[in-house]
Amino acid sequence: MERRTFLKNTGLLTGGLLLNHNLSAMQPAGNPVKIAVIGCGDRGTGIMNILNGMPEQFRITAVCDVLDFRLAAAQKLSKTGPLKAYTDYRKLLDDQTVEAIIVAVPLYLHYPVAADVIRSGKHLYLEKTMTYTIEQALELVSLMKGRGSQVLQVGHQYRYSPLYYRVKEMINKGYLGKVTQVDCRWDRNGNWRRPVPDPALERAINWRMYKEYSGGLAAELLSHQIDFINWAFDTHPQEFFATGGIDVFKDGRETYDNVQLMLRYPDLGLIGNFGAMCGNAHDGYLFKIKGTLGTVSLLTDQGMFYPEKKLLGEKGTVDGVTGATRIVWNKEGGTPILPEATKDGTWYAFNDFYQKIQRNELPDSNVFTGARTAISVHLANQALYGKKICNWDSGYQIDKG
Amino acid sequence: MKKNLLPGTVLLVLLFCAFGRQEHFSRFELSGYAQGTTYSIVYYAPDSLVSQQQTDSLLQRFDRSVSLYQPNSLICRFNRSAKGIRVDEPIRVLIARVLQISHSTGGLVDPTVKPLVDAWGFGVVKPRHDPGKDEIKELLRNVGVDKIGLKGDFLYKTKPGVQLDLNGIAQGYSVDLLASLLERHHIYNYLVELGGELRVKGHKPGNEPFKVGIEGISGDDLNPAPMRKVIEPGDGAITTSGNYRKHHEAGGKQISHLMNPLTGYPLQNEMISVTVYARDAITADGYDNGFMAMGLQRTLAFLSNRKTMGAYIVYRKPNGVISDTVTAFFKGYQ
Repeated sequence: MERRTFLKNTGLLTGGLLLNHNLSAMQPAGNPVKIAVIGCGDRGTGIMNILNGMPEQFRITAVCDVLDFRLAAAQKLSKTGPLKAYTDYRKLLDDQTVEAIIVAVPLYLHYPVAADVIRSGKHLYLEKTMTYTIEQALELVSLMKGRGSQVLQVGHQYRYSPLYYRVKEMINKGYLGKVTQVDCRWDRNGNWRRPVPDPALERAINWRMYKEYSGGLAAELLSHQIDFINWAFDTHPQEFFATGGIDVFKDGRETYDNVQLMLRYPDLGLIGNFGAMCGNAHDGYLFKIKGTLGTVSLLTDQGMFYPEKKLLGEKGTVDGVTGATRIVWNKEGGTPILPEATKDGTWYAFNDFYQKIQRNELPDSNVFTGARTAISVHLANQALYGKKICNWDSGYQIDKG
Repeated sequence: MKKNLLPGTVLLVLLFCAFGRQEHFSRFELSGYAQGTTYSIVYYAPDSLVSQQQTDSLLQRFDRSVSLYQPNSLICRFNRSAKGIRVDEPIRVLIARVLQISHSTGGLVDPTVKPLVDAWGFGVVKPRHDPGKDEIKELLRNVGVDKIGLKGDFLYKTKPGVQLDLNGIAQGYSVDLLASLLERHHIYNYLVELGGELRVKGHKPGNEPFKVGIEGISGDDLNPAPMRKVIEPGDGAITTSGNYRKHHEAGGKQISHLMNPLTGYPLQNEMISVTVYARDAITADGYDNGFMAMGLQRTLAFLSNRKTMGAYIVYRKPNGVISDTVTAFFKGYQ
């Protein structure tokens, strides 16, 4: 799917599709939520940039990072004067004025930091993948029990965009027919490293390269698509097959730079192919959901629907069709799912985080769905690094989701 | 008298030849992209007499005249001009026809509606807010067919702010142009469709009539509703105007992309869609938006004594129930 094709088509289709997320209904009800960021790397500061554009919903009051230069860079993003800066997140949690916390630390720290935030009683926006291990995921589920007024939202932000809600609706309403395969990729042609100002900081900055801290490409990238499939179909994989290696960048990294997962969802008769690599960028982000009636092909902000060609032909008991300004099929026989590109998923995710805090409601990406995805990712990684077939254990206690 | 017999005889001979060879006709299909939508042509002929290159190039030429998406099209140059510009034949034909239709619909069809279309967010450039009362009043000063006219091949405007939008009729005319292209190449059994506007002539092998579906009105392109009706219109044109697909929200309610040029506001009446039959597509397409604006009763009255035009109308009854009706001269309806 080419972005150019999208742009050409979306400009022309002014759109009878109504978005699930009715923006006019999203007017803030109360004061901005005072929010603090723990972990001011790329993701933490990226979120800060988005929140700067949402002053009626959020006011960033404090930042926390173990690296001084990161704290200084985060300070510079402040639109409301100097932020309180912490290097120890526990001290930040003692700050009674802070109402909500964003946790964007390396994966291995998600659980300990998140658990402390939950115990502090503050609302929590926890970056994906929710936890590093299965036990930690189950532990967070039980920690959240009885905390109905506390919001924990997991940062699978892409599925918060109206596009992904619409695709879920299309799947649930049967527009795609019986879906038996999904193809997902998240590729790049590059080493996936961040610049390191001081060699001593290599492991702190490039934590994604090391198994001790990170679940690698599966946890950092493919978890979004794994999570979407879990959520859209209300399921999780049962069997996990995987292969991979350090095939492109033999630079001392431990996490694989070439990964392919095959997940089996036997209740649906569905196979999920999830691949990521660092040695080719042609596909980039690819997400195709394939059913007997049609294919959905998604970018993060735009999507196309391709009815099966066979069906287009079957429609033809007539020689021509008359109708109001007709749908614009592109050259591959597709039509845009939404008339215009959506905003960054993070914007929608935080809009909803705000709403859920106001209403004390369970977010769509919550501790239960977060646990289901974290367990899926972890089992995939066990299959990948352990070179074995793994299975979902029915003993995992995720009550809801 | 004798002199005049010859062309008639030749025509008869040609017709006999055509029917005599009917069984050897093959089916040819062309399809492509134009005017931001798709087109498709089906014709039956002894050989592939017209190629896609020909139809594409005809439509590209046409776009260079009337497309609002091409900044250097003639129509865009007219819109930017202070007093008007020289125009080509297609625009002259379109203007002459649309002025005629405008008069006979009491101004409800109006090619100068563009400032309103833009202001309500259905133009090429989207505005930041919905227009207020005063803004609409101001815009209406540049709307009205009395503010444009043709002097030879010069299309003039009386005020610099007058702008044209021929989208309501141009698609129909381009279908006519495609039909003429086919006929120039001696193709007399065809169906031409562009963006849901059609021209039909002749029939399929075995005297089988061309069948035309009238689209369902769900407006959901991802899960289209079944056809509302299938008709066999015979020779002529079929076009549809409807507000079930192209609309958006303003002030908390859905607004139509069709404007009432007299009030400056989007149409708001019982009409959901009108499918018009006429001899050619410029006529059918030229009137269909006007019927949407007229509403059910006026449209039925307007068509009651016109034997060359008919309509199939889908509308909402006061109790909310969706209903349909058809006028006497809508062809091929069972």
